[in-house]
Amino acid sequence: MPDYLETTVDKFLFRVATDRSYNAVGIWAKADGNLIRIGLSDYLQQRSGDIAFVEVKPSGSVLAAEDEVASIETIKVNISLPCPVAGKIVRVNPEMETAPEKINQDPFGEGWLCEIEASDWERDQAGLMDAPAYFARMKQEAEEEAKKL
Amino acid sequence: MTMNKKVAIVPCSGIGKPYGTVSRVAAYQVTEDDRAQDTCLVPLALLVLGDEETRQALANNPAVTIDGCKLACATKMVQECGGKVAQEFAVLDIYRRYREFKPQGIAELNEGGEKLAQVLAVEIDRVVDELTGKGGQNA
Repeated sequence: MPDYLETTVDKFLFRVATDRSYNAVGIWAKADGNLIRIGLSDYLQQRSGDIAFVEVKPSGSVLAAEDEVASIETIKVNISLPCPVAGKIVRVNPEMETAPEKINQDPFGEGWLCEIEASDWERDQAGLMDAPAYFARMKQEAEEEAKKL
Repeated sequence: MTMNKKVAIVPCSGIGKPYGTVSRVAAYQVTEDDRAQDTCLVPLALLVLGDEETRQALANNPAVTIDGCKLACATKMVQECGGKVAQEFAVLDIYRRYREFKPQGIAELNEGGEKLAQVLAVEIDRVVDELTGKGGQNA
C-alpha cells in the first residue's frame, strides 16, 4: 500500500500516492525497472465522474510521450489521455474492458490502465512531477474549481 | 400518498445530469404506463424530509431503486428509512450494456436517452412482475 498526501477541498477528499510520478493532466507513472505502469490520479477520476467505458491502445502499440494512450467516456465527458512515457505497451489491464469502474474505485491500485516498456524512462521521468509537486498543482486546481461552484 | 401492497419505485432525484433524468423517465414509464396498478412512485425528497406516510409505505412494500450515479442516494435513502430494496438499478450499468443509447440533455432527453429509459423501464417491469407474481399475466 502506498503512502498518500491528502487534502480536502469543499466536500471532496483527494489523495496523491507518493510512490510515483505524474504528468500535468494527472496520469501517474510507476516504475518497476524499465516497466512503467500508468493510471489516473484520484483527482482526475473524481473530476471526470463515473466512468462508463475505457479504450486503451492495444498491446504492442508504440507510443511517444504525450501520444493518446487511452480514451475514457464518463457520465460527464469524453477525455483523451496523454501517455506520460514513451515506449511499447506490453500489457493492458483486462479489467478495463469488463470493469472500468475500477478506476473510480481504486485509481492507484486495481484501476491501472496498462504497462509500458519504456524507451527512455530517465528522460521521461525528468519531465514529470513528483508527488509533492503534483499535489500542490492538483490542490490549487481543485480550489480554483471549488470557487466556481 | 397511498401504497397498498405496491412495489415502490424510487428514482434518483439528481437535477442537472442526464443519468438522473433517465432514471425518472424510466420510473414514470413504469408507474404511469407499464405497471400503473402494481407500482407507486416514491419521490426521494419525501424520504429525505422524513414524510411519515412514505416511510411507512416503504416499511410494508418492496422497493426498486434507480440510481443515477455511484452515490446511490436512492438505494441508501431507502435503506436508511428501513425499507427493503428488492432490486437496485444503476443507469450507468444499463448504459454499459446499451452503448448505442448515449443519454444527453437534462430537461429533455435526446433520442438515445429516451431509448435507454425505455430499456431500463422494461427491466424494471420484469422485476415488478416477479415481485407481484404477475409475470405470466404481463408477459
